[in-house]
Amino acid sequence: MSLLTALDRKHTIAPEGYSRWLIPPAALAVHLCIGQVYATSVYKNSFIKHFDASQTSIGIIFSIAIVMLGLSAAVGGTWVEANGPRKAMFVSACCWASGFLVGALGIGTKQLWLVYLGYGVIGGIGLGIGYISPVSTLIKWFPDRPGLATGLAIMGFGGGALIASPASRQLLSAYDSGYDPNVGTSVADGRALVLLFVTLGIAYFVIMMFGVANIRVPAPGWRPAGWDPSTATEKPLVTTANVSAANAIRTRSFWLLWIVLFCNVTAGIGILEQASPMIQDFFRGDGGVSSVSVAAASGFVGVLSLFNMAGRFAWSSTSDVLGRKPMYMVYLGVGMVMYLLLATVGDSATALFVVLAGVILSFYGGGFATVPAYLRDLFGTYQVGAIHGRLLIAWSAAGVAGPLVINGFLDAQGKPGSLTADAYRPALFTMVGVLAVGFIANLLIRPVPARFHEPAGTVTALEKEAAA
Amino acid sequence: MNAQSIRLLVSWLLVAVLLGYGIVQTLITAAKLFK
Repeated sequence: MSLLTALDRKHTIAPEGYSRWLIPPAALAVHLCIGQVYATSVYKNSFIKHFDASQTSIGIIFSIAIVMLGLSAAVGGTWVEANGPRKAMFVSACCWASGFLVGALGIGTKQLWLVYLGYGVIGGIGLGIGYISPVSTLIKWFPDRPGLATGLAIMGFGGGALIASPASRQLLSAYDSGYDPNVGTSVADGRALVLLFVTLGIAYFVIMMFGVANIRVPAPGWRPAGWDPSTATEKPLVTTANVSAANAIRTRSFWLLWIVLFCNVTAGIGILEQASPMIQDFFRGDGGVSSVSVAAASGFVGVLSLFNMAGRFAWSSTSDVLGRKPMYMVYLGVGMVMYLLLATVGDSATALFVVLAGVILSFYGGGFATVPAYLRDLFGTYQVGAIHGRLLIAWSAAGVAGPLVINGFLDAQGKPGSLTADAYRPALFTMVGVLAVGFIANLLIRPVPARFHEPAGTVTALEKEAAA
Repeated sequence: MNAQSIRLLVSWLLVAVLLGYGIVQTLITAAKLFK
């Protein structure tokens, strides 16, 4: 059997007795690796010096990767569904690892366009395919707890940055004795950056292969022992019907959910992108000096990362009990209250500021992790991965809109380093409005009309055909 | 211990080691906020 044949969906069907608890670590093996994309700031200053380039030129690397994530997830979603999670994870690992290696070549030859092509385009394709590859498989293995299953995997994407940031600093320190990871202005040389990219590329490929080896799809008709599907459909909005990806994007519910995700992500990115200077500005005294040091501000970024990661698992699991629509009412409704409090009393105490921002970030993470289960409820399991891929364009759009809103308001208020809490209020009140739009969109979501459903029996027949 | 149990153990151990490293390192950084 050739390698590519072994990766096919039909060779990935689990034998009887295969433990479904092998699937979450397989998914995590991929998501913990691709989550590195949120740790690019670690070597940003070193890149600027090495390439003698502007902040914007280097920032574009991350932007290309995120845009490619959204595009490849949207375009490749149907391919992922057709070919199965193992082949998709393998392709993702190849793209992600070769993205680092081509990027290393670009660093070594000082050709920035090669880094754009490698890490941005090729790596970005690996990101998109990798992000969606385990989602529908997890939902099929955990029909009784889809929120918990997808929350576990997508928590890994948040956790990936927690691992990559310190690991990259320590590796750069090992490869360049002149680099001090504890000094913000210290930069690593080009040789250390090349070695870092080669090391990360190889290490991520090996870890992702654990996922490739362990991932399996359940046999057609499989269900967990003792689970009664009728208990799932007792909840509002949960369907037993199936909708294809092509039909899903023709429904009102899909676009309302697109707006919900867009609003939730836009609001979260607003804080995430500005976290470090924001806490310093909120506690700037009359003399213009902040009571929060640069080191403490970096600690705040770490706290937010933990809230972001924990929210993905905790809130998504909670949605299995509360239901998806009420959970998003919490994310968006309580999120509005948190933003209002942040704007009005957030500067009264550091602890209060940290708690408010942390809860907002936990809702941001929770929104990402709960959305696949929401899609399963509305559209069934048939092509949920492909539908999820199409929805992720909202992420790319919010990645542009969130920072634009925050930075646009702040630019009008003064120069960085001189801002205070007052300068943030217009932006924070705008975010309350953004969340309100998302809240209304969530309220308007209704079950998908029967005319969009696949004919009864078609889906099972297709699954059996794929397994044959 | 059968093959599947070993596979389960190794898989979750890998995840625990990776995530554990990330969380501990982040907590060390986060502690600076409260100094």
